[in-house]
Formats: sequence, C-alpha cells, structure tokens
Amino acid sequence: MLAQGTRLVQEDRLLEAAAVFDRITAPPKGEDAGIFVQAHISGAKIHFGLKDYRASARMCREVLAVLPDNLEAKNMLAQVEIASTPKWLRFLKDMKSYFPTLMKATSMTLVLVFITMIVSPIGGLFVALGRISRHKALSSAFWFYIWIFRGTPLLLQLFFIYYALPTIGASLWPETPTVLVLAPFTAAVLGLGLNYSAYLAEIMRGAIESIDSGQMEAAKAIGMTYWQAMRRIIVPQTYKRLVPPVGNEFIALIKDTALVSTIAMVELMRAANQIFSATFNVSILVQAALIYLILTSIFTVAFRRLEDRLGVYENR
Amino acid sequence: MMKLEGVVKRYGSLTAVDRVDLDIEKGQRIVIIGPSGSGKTTLLRMINFLEKMDEGRILMEGAPVGYRLDKKGRLVMEKPHVICELRSEIGMVFQHFHLFPHMTVLQNVMEGPVTVKGEPREDVRKRAMDLLGKVGLVDKKDAYPAFLSGGQKQRVAIARALAMRPKLMLFDEPTSALDPELVGEVFYTIKALAEEGITMVIVTHQMGFAREIADRVIFMDNGKFIFEGHPGDLFSQTMEHPRIRAFLQKVL
Repeated sequence: MLAQGTRLVQEDRLLEAAAVFDRITAPPKGEDAGIFVQAHISGAKIHFGLKDYRASARMCREVLAVLPDNLEAKNMLAQVEIASTPKWLRFLKDMKSYFPTLMKATSMTLVLVFITMIVSPIGGLFVALGRISRHKALSSAFWFYIWIFRGTPLLLQLFFIYYALPTIGASLWPETPTVLVLAPFTAAVLGLGLNYSAYLAEIMRGAIESIDSGQMEAAKAIGMTYWQAMRRIIVPQTYKRLVPPVGNEFIALIKDTALVSTIAMVELMRAANQIFSATFNVSILVQAALIYLILTSIFTVAFRRLEDRLGVYENR
Repeated sequence: MMKLEGVVKRYGSLTAVDRVDLDIEKGQRIVIIGPSGSGKTTLLRMINFLEKMDEGRILMEGAPVGYRLDKKGRLVMEKPHVICELRSEIGMVFQHFHLFPHMTVLQNVMEGPVTVKGEPREDVRKRAMDLLGKVGLVDKKDAYPAFLSGGQKQRVAIARALAMRPKLMLFDEPTSALDPELVGEVFYTIKALAEEGITMVIVTHQMGFAREIADRVIFMDNGKFIFEGHPGDLFSQTMEHPRIRAFLQKVL
C-alpha cells in the first residue's frame, strides 16, 4: 500500500494518495511501525501542501498516539499549528511568549530610570548652586562640566565610560590595570547620572534665577544667610516651575536608557533587539514600542498631577 | 541707637548718597521724603546692609559695625554671619511686600524667628498670632499671599518684620504700590506701631506720614539732606527751599 500511495503521488493524484496512506493502520504493539509512520507523515505532508491543516494535524496525532516521541511527527504538527493559526492570533501568541523576557528587561529599564531620577536632581541642584556661586573657579568648573555633558552625545559618553576609561586606567596605572574597568550597570548609571545632572542643572539654574530678586532681599532682611534663603525661600519656589521641564527630561530619559544597550546592558531595547535578530518577528518590536509608550504615558500623567499639587499657593 | 557718619554710595559716576550723617535715637520716628532718585531708598538699604556703602561709618550703640578695612585700606563688609546678625535686629518692609508666596500668612510671620533665631515653634506661633491680631489678619492666617489684597500683604509683611523683635523698623515706600483705597489700612497699622514707641525710619511720598507720625522729617535731594527738622517746620520753611516747595506742590 505504501508503494501504491507513492506511485499515486508521482502521478500527481495527491488526494487519492493521501487516502491510501490513511488506510495503513497502526500495527499491534511491539511490531515495527516504520511503514505506518512513513505513510502517515507522507499523508500529513500532502494535506499540509493542500492547506487541509485539520487532516494534516489528525495524521500527525495518529502517529504520536503510537510513538509519542516521534520527532518528525512533532515537527510536522508544530508546523501545521503555526500555519493554521490566523495571522493576528499568531501575532498575539508571539507577543505572549516573549512577554516574560521583555518584562524582565523592562524592570532593568525602570531600575535605571529610577536611579537616574534620584541621582540627577540631587546632582543637578548641586551643580546649579555651584554655577550661580560667586566663586569664579567653582562656577567655571561647573560650567565646563555642563559644557562637556550637554555638548556631546550621550551614546559617546557611555562608550567613553565603558570602553575608553579602562584603557586610560591601564595606561595611567600599569600596576593596577583594571582600576577603571566598570561593570555595565555601573557605567550605565554613571553615564546617565552625569548626563542628566548636567541637563537638570541648567534647568534648575534657570528656575532659581527666575525667582524675583526681592525674595532673596526679603529673606536677607529678616537675617537669613544665603544658604538659609536658598533652602527655605528660593529653591522651594522653583519646584512648581521645575516640574514641566524636568518631567520632559525624565520622559526623554526613559527613551535614552535604550542607549545603554550598546554597553552590554540587558534592558528593554536590548532584549527586544536580541529576540528580533533571532526571529525577525515584528511583534517583538511592536511590543517594545508599546511598553515604552505605556511608561512615558504614565510619567506624563504623573507629572501633570504633581504640577497641580505643587501650585496650590498660586491664585489662578 | 544707630548712627550714620559721612555715608557715601556711588553707582559709577553717580553719587546716590553723598556724605550723609544721620542719628537715629531710640523711639524716634524719622520720615525721609524727597523726589525719586534722591537716594532715599539707597540710604535705607545701607542702614540694613542690603547695600554696601563706599565711604563712611555705621555705628550701633556707639560702636562701628558691619564694615572693616581690607589690606589695601578699602572698606569691605564683614563676614556674612556678622551682617546677618545685624540685619536680624533691623526690620524692613518693602514697597513690593516680598512675602514668601509658598508659605501661608502664619508661616511667613514665623519663618524668621524659627529659621534664623531657632526659637521653639510653639512660642513663635503664639507671638505670630498676637502680631496678626495687631495687624488685623488673624482670620487670614492660613491664606497664601496670592489670595490677599495689597494692603493685607503689606500688613503681613509688617508682622513678619516685627516677629524678629527688631530694634529698628525700616519702611521703604510702604504704601507706594497700593491702590489708593488700601493706603489707609497700612498707614493706620504703622501709626499704631509709632504710638507704641517703636523706632522707625520711613521713606515715603505720603505727606500724611510726615505730618502725623514723624517727630523728625528729612528732605533728601541729590543724595543730600537739604532739610532736617520738625514736620511742622517743613511746611513753614519751604519758602527758603524751592526744591521742597516744588516737591510739596506735586505730592499734596
């Protein structure tokens, strides 16, 4: 019967061939099932070629019922399942299967975002206060820092910290050549922190300088020192004015964390890229885009609320 | 109590205050009038060390304060903490109030004693409420400055300055930024303080201050005092001073 089926295939009478293959029944337990398997797989292939996925899947399952570990049947069945699923459903299924990996990577993105969100306002305020200081040297030093970090690409800064610093360290201190070798995470936090501190410093400086000079005078007139006035009077008044521009920076930060994927950090962008390179599955990029969108949207809403809350003392 | 000797302030080639001597005695109420740009405000700001003088001496209880000579013999201000100490003994009320907008009325009044002097919050609170009672704003204690009228803001500013228990109160055109109908309430608040015997120097265009509050009026022009004396005499002696006459004709 196997020979008959094969002949029918050669004569291009595919449906009849499949019917013949179907008629070959499974041998009793313990006997050689080679012919049965070969016939059923051939039948499944014919049905698959004719896009009769249900029949194809049935024949594969019949093989698996006898030989549960048959690789050929398994692969065939998987192919049938992929082919028989509607495109949109397959898209969703792909998404679901990559979701855990992406979520894990997203948590790293969030860790980087939150650390930078804590570090950079503190660093930024420090630098901003240094910039408006009357000490020329201090002010110039911070100007230089801002000039460097705002004037070069973040990507380059990350490369420098991660790839160039070790080389510099090795040539400066030959006896401890690894002194400036940084872990990817450390390098990422350092790069993002330094970069965002520079940006926030300029925003904060602008906000401090926008406060009416009469406020400093009034604070001095009741006997406050410069630092008391800064801490109690001037800086608190900048909070509300800072929220919109700083919010923008933090939204940019969420997207900028994608750059640390270039220095061996596995975060959302890198994870998405890895899976995409291996599968060329578009859904993974769509999914990454959706996650970024959700994160930036949450931030937008949160900063809007914060701004309203900080403005309670204003008469609008 | 406080004495200025030969005080000079220059802005480039302009001499804003030109060798002025001023003796402020305890309980005295001095009103300084004069045209804009005559150096009144600059003088007041120098009394409070908000402006650095170029020459002269400022004495408190007979001792020179606030300045020293550097190695090259130039006049420089003392270190910030010395200046802050001096300022905390002198209250100042500004033309544009300069209340702290992010603090309530009560917080504004409490801020100085709590932050500068480190006094216990509860004591300060009690005193601040008394002061708000004095300026008639107890019911506004939890309001933010943006929700007050100009007159109310200025009364809060007065209470804020008084909370530091200053030896001397300076008023820099306290009613100039107010709508005419709000001038009265601030005027009467200051008058009530004058009746308590608080030492004060008022820079103003309001002749009412000179007439009703001052026991000494100074007319300033081009950085100099051209009249100094009893308020009554200002009006009777104007014939000798064409500048004063012209000014009075404009403001009255």
